[in-house]
Amino acid sequence: MLTLDGVVAGYGGGDVLHEVSLSCPPATVTCLIGPNGAGKSTVLRVISGLLNPRRGEVLLDGVLLSGLSPRDILRHGIVQVPQSQALFPKMTVAENVLMGGYLLRKDRALLRARRAAVEELVPLVRERASEPAGNLSGGQRRMVEIGRCLMLEPKVVMMDEPSLGLDPHSLAAVAALIERIHRSGATVLLVEQNVRVGLGLATHGVVMEGGRIRLTGKAAEIAAHPDIGQLYLGAPTTGGQ
Amino acid sequence: MAQFVQTLALGLLIGGVYALMASGLTLIFGVMRVINVAQGAFLVLSAFVTWWVWRATGIDPIALAALTTPLMFGLGWAFYRLVGARLRSAPPSMSVLLMFGVALLIEGLLNVTAGNRFRSATPGYFDESYTLGPISLPKAPLYGFLAALAVLAVFYAVLDHTWTGRAIRAWAQNPSGAALVGVSAVPTATLAFALGTASAGMGGSVLSVLVPFFPASHYEWIARILGIIVLGGLGSLPGALTGALILGLAESLTSVYVSPQWSILVFYGVIMAVLIVRPQGLFGTRVREDVAA
Repeated sequence: MLTLDGVVAGYGGGDVLHEVSLSCPPATVTCLIGPNGAGKSTVLRVISGLLNPRRGEVLLDGVLLSGLSPRDILRHGIVQVPQSQALFPKMTVAENVLMGGYLLRKDRALLRARRAAVEELVPLVRERASEPAGNLSGGQRRMVEIGRCLMLEPKVVMMDEPSLGLDPHSLAAVAALIERIHRSGATVLLVEQNVRVGLGLATHGVVMEGGRIRLTGKAAEIAAHPDIGQLYLGAPTTGGQ
Repeated sequence: MAQFVQTLALGLLIGGVYALMASGLTLIFGVMRVINVAQGAFLVLSAFVTWWVWRATGIDPIALAALTTPLMFGLGWAFYRLVGARLRSAPPSMSVLLMFGVALLIEGLLNVTAGNRFRSATPGYFDESYTLGPISLPKAPLYGFLAALAVLAVFYAVLDHTWTGRAIRAWAQNPSGAALVGVSAVPTATLAFALGTASAGMGGSVLSVLVPFFPASHYEWIARILGIIVLGGLGSLPGALTGALILGLAESLTSVYVSPQWSILVFYGVIMAVLIVRPQGLFGTRVREDVAA
């Protein structure tokens, strides 16, 4: 279970997250939704150790993670696919995926096995292995980014806007990959602006506004909530005005 | 025709040595995004260490690279760990100022200990040449070139085929992406800086034989190797290699066919001409500021 308890965090002098508490049960897909500036991406940065919380705790299965370096958090099995380009554009696709196993670099046999597993899950990694990652389309890069993070066989996979900028075909491929990761037993935490896509993929939903948690529940319940329907899904107001 | 071929050969030999000197600077820039303006001073410091040991022991100055390269690696490692790493989150201008201060400190120390005089290591083969038909290849630049080639080959092999090299390249291309796969910032930057200063160690030993030097000659060398990496594209190792060979050839051809006095002007003239056509350098890439990391 991934848990945030009373997390306060921010950049410079200001706080972006105010007493954020949430839980992601094991082997679930949780989707964080909310308007721009709600603090969704900041939640991921705090969990992955790229931003230290000023107060509060991040725990995985009861183990305290807050304050650890990104490298140590990776060792605990939490990986992140960020919103912006995360690949190394001048390295080949194969090298990029291999770098996902940087922490396992002393165990060559394990690296080979993990790479084969990733190639099985993301065939593009084998098909375009020798091409520079910078030559791939946006959707292909996203697939390689996800494949790369699977090299560590993570317990928790965090993805920031996985649908961003993807055409429908690429989006379907990424959605299918997320579904397979979920079925493999990993916990998935998504941040999505595309609420329909995000909640469609998720088992649970969390709504954020102004750096605070506004609503949590099953994804279907969140999607059916009248305020959410009105604010994010374009549904008519229940008042009928 | 023989003179032309010989001039080309000399240009390539000196270009190979420039490539070694510039590779370290471009590697440091690639990882740290900071121009190490003390690289010329490290080069001259190594040349002085070589000259001192050569004069005291008679050991071949180019062979002394086996001493100066690890020595400068250690110096670079310790310096970055103790001082450079503290400025990681400071604006780049602070790092440039720090390195300029280091350059002045090295120059001052050399002035005090060695005096403000030209020095040059002159081993027995200093003015000897190999003759290949009509072409005469001076031994000193040839040995320097071969040594530079060997070090560059090791350099490229480490960067291309080892986890350490992959981590350095990954950090240079995408620091946040590298952090997300577990590459640590300080050890990676420390290693890149140390490799850069190690290349200055090797380059200094070669320099001690090829060109007379004095404490303040680091200004000339930093200008020259900075020109090479700007020509090749900041942060690009193939760019540094290509830029160095082009400028070595341009300098050599100008010296022979125009005048040695014009060679330095042509050196910078070529850089300006290329930058007018390709402001990002030969191997650099243009990045939109609104999407740059």
